[in-house]
Amino acid sequence: MAKVLYEEATRVYPGTERPAVDALDLDISDGEFLVLVGPSGCGKSTSLRMLAGLERVDGGRITIGERDVTHLPPRDRDIAMVFQNYALYPHMSVADNMGFALRVMKAPKQERDRRVRDAARLLDLEEYLDRRPKELSGGQRQRVAMGRAIVREPQVFLMDEPLSNLDAKLRVQTRTQIAALQRRLGVTTVYVTHDQVEAMTMGDRVAVLKDGLLQQVDTPLRLYQHPANVFVAGFIGSPSMNLAEFRVEGEEAVLGGTRIRLSRETLEALRKEGGDRLVLGFRPEAVDVIAETDADAEHRTFPVTVTVVEELGSDAFLYGQYADAAHPALLDQTVIARVDPNAPPAKGDRVRLRIAQGKERLFSAVTGRRLPP
Amino acid sequence: MSTSMTPPSSAHQRTTADQAVRGNGRAVTAAPPGVPQSPLEASSKRSRWTVAILLAVAMLWTLIPLVWMLLSSFKNRSDVTAATPQVLFAPTLDNYRNLFSGPNNLGPYIWHSVLAAGISALLALFLGALAGYGLARTRMRGKKHLAFWIISTRMAPIAAIVVPLFLIFRGLGLIDSIPGLVLAYLTFNLPFAIWLMSAFFAEVPPSLEESALVAGCTRWQAFRTVILPLTKSGLVTTFVLCLVFAWNDYAFAVVFSGPNSQTLPIAASQLVTQTGIDWGQLTAIGTIVVVPMMLAGLAVRRWLVTGLTLGAVTGE
Ligand SMILES: Nc1ncnc2c1ncn2[C@@H]1O[C@H](COP(=O)(O)OP(=O)(O)OP(=O)(O)O)[C@@H](O)[C@H]1O
Ligand SMILES: [Mg+2]
Repeated sequence: MAKVLYEEATRVYPGTERPAVDALDLDISDGEFLVLVGPSGCGKSTSLRMLAGLERVDGGRITIGERDVTHLPPRDRDIAMVFQNYALYPHMSVADNMGFALRVMKAPKQERDRRVRDAARLLDLEEYLDRRPKELSGGQRQRVAMGRAIVREPQVFLMDEPLSNLDAKLRVQTRTQIAALQRRLGVTTVYVTHDQVEAMTMGDRVAVLKDGLLQQVDTPLRLYQHPANVFVAGFIGSPSMNLAEFRVEGEEAVLGGTRIRLSRETLEALRKEGGDRLVLGFRPEAVDVIAETDADAEHRTFPVTVTVVEELGSDAFLYGQYADAAHPALLDQTVIARVDPNAPPAKGDRVRLRIAQGKERLFSAVTGRRLPP
Repeated sequence: MSTSMTPPSSAHQRTTADQAVRGNGRAVTAAPPGVPQSPLEASSKRSRWTVAILLAVAMLWTLIPLVWMLLSSFKNRSDVTAATPQVLFAPTLDNYRNLFSGPNNLGPYIWHSVLAAGISALLALFLGALAGYGLARTRMRGKKHLAFWIISTRMAPIAAIVVPLFLIFRGLGLIDSIPGLVLAYLTFNLPFAIWLMSAFFAEVPPSLEESALVAGCTRWQAFRTVILPLTKSGLVTTFVLCLVFAWNDYAFAVVFSGPNSQTLPIAASQLVTQTGIDWGQLTAIGTIVVVPMMLAGLAVRRWLVTGLTLGAVTGE
C-alpha cells in the first residue's frame, strides 16, 4: 500500500498540439479511493495509463510510495489494473486468469492456489474457477477481472470504467461491492469513470478533469456544495445545477424580475474583475415552491410553467420554462426543481419558485471561477 | 492495417454458423413432413439445392484430375496410354519403384523439397509473426502505406525478380544451394506472412497484452504467453500457405537450383523428355507432390477454416 503522487504530469500524444493531460497535480494518500471523473475525452484514461506505465509521461513526475516510477515499465510498478473490457485471457481458465500475475512472478504453486481460492471465495467465483471467460456472464467476468487484481496484492489498484459494460441494476449493485471491498482491503485505488453518480458514491475524493486540466479535487460533498467553477457546478449533481447569467445592478444580481442581493465580498471581487455580469447557480433542491400571491414579498423568486414532472417515488422533479412574459428573452430558460413528491404540480401549471436563502452559488462570468459568497 | 486490405472479420457469422451446424447436424431444421411449407421455406430449400449442385460440380472439377492422377500412378505402361480410359486394372507399384531406383533416384529431390520448403516456411512464419506484430501495434503515421508497400512486393510476377535475384545469388555463391532456395522463397513468403499475421494480431485487443504487462510480463513474455496462443490459427494458416507456395514452386527452382538442390517439381519436369513422356512415373511424382500437402491441409483443417475467416481470436 502506498501513496500516489502526480507532479505536473503531462502527456502530449504524438501528432497532437494540446496535451491530453496537462500538468496534472494530484496527491492521493495511502489507502484512499480516488475517482477521476469528467466528460469523454477529458484525459481520464490517459492519466490512469500514465500511472500504469502504459502511456509515456512527457513532463513532470509520478511517484508510487517513495519510488519515482515516471519512466519505469509497467511490470516494475507493483500495480494491478482492471480494464473496461476486462481483458481476460480467453485461452485460460478463470483460475489461471486470476493466478496469472503470480505465475509470472514465479510464486510457489501452493501459495498461488491459496490466493486464487481466497479471492474466488471473496468474490463468489469458486464454482467458476475451471471455466473459460467466454462461458461467464458479464457480471461474472467483471468479478474475475476484480479477482485478478486482488490476487496480485498490489500497491495500487487502477480501474478504468470497470462497470460500464454492466446493465444499470448490476452496476449499482457492483459499485457498492467494489467500494466496500476497497475499504476492506485498504489498497490505494484510482478509479476512472465518466458517470458522476458513480464518482460521488464511490470516491473518498473525486478529481474532476476537463480538457486535460484538473478542475477540482475534493470530497464528494464539498464538490457538490462548493464547486470551484461553473464546469464542476454543472457536471456534478443529477439532475444538474441550474445556471444562468445575471446582470449586476447596484448591489443586486438581476435576471428579468428576479433580484438577488450580493454580499460586499462578492461585489468587491466583481469590481476587481471589472465585470458587470456573473453566473448564478442553484441546485434543484435549493428552491421552494411558493404561492403566486407571494410574488412581491421577495425578489428571489421567478415564475415557471411546468413542462415535465419526473416522479421517482422518493423524489419528484419539475422541469419548467421561465414564464415571465415581460421578459421574452428568458422564455427559453429551462429550470429544474425538486418538489414535494406527495403533491407535485401538474404539467402545464404555473408556479413560482424561490431560491432558498444562501443557497445560490456565484461564479465569475469571465473566468468561470467561484466568487466569494 | 488498412481496412481496405484486411479481409473483413466475420467472427459473428462464423460463430453463428458454427452453432447452427453443431446444433443438430443440419444448418436449417427442415419442416416435419406433412406440414405445409411457406413460400420462404420453399425458396430457401431451392437455393440450398442450387448450392449443393454448384458445390458438387466444383468438387468434381477439382477431384477428377486428382483421382485420375492417383489411379494412373498405379497403372503399367499400356494401361496408362490405353485409348479407352481404364478404370479397372491390375495395380502395380512399378512406377514408384522405378522412381526410387537407378541413377535418377527421387530421394534427394524429396529431401531438397522438404528442406527448402520447410525451412523457408518456418523462417517466414517466425519473422512474419514478429514483424506483423510490430506492424499491428505501432502507432506511427503512414503505417497503412508501410503495410501496403510490404504486401505490394508480393504482387510483382516471379519473372520480374528472378533475374536480379540471380545476379545477387551468383555474387553471393547461393546458386544451387538450399539456403539460396530458402531465401528466394522468403522474398515471396515473408511479405505475405507479415501481412497476414498483422491482420491476425490486429484482431487481438491491445488491452490483453497491456494487462499482461501490468501483471509483470516483459513485452516478449506478453507476446509469448498471451498473444501467440490467441493467434494459433493465424500461425497455422500462415505456415501452411507459405509451405504450399514453396513446395509447389517451379519458377524459382528451375533458375536457382542445380544437382545439389533440385526439388520435386524439377524432377517431374525432367520426365518430360524429347523421347517421350513417362506418364506413369509423372503421375507418381504428381501424387508424391500433392499427397503430403493434402494430408497437411487435412491435419490442420480446423485451424485453417477459422484462420481464413479471421476473428477466431477473442472468442467473444
Ligand atoms: N493514442 C492516441 N493518440 C492520439 N490522441 C489520443 C490517443 N489516445 C487518446 N487520445 C486523445 O487524448 C484525449 C484524452 O483521451 P482519454 O482516452 O484519456 O479520454 P477519456 O477521458 O478516458 O475519455 P473516455 O471517457 O471517452 O474514455 C482525447 O482527446 C483523445 O482523443
Ligand atoms: Mg477512457
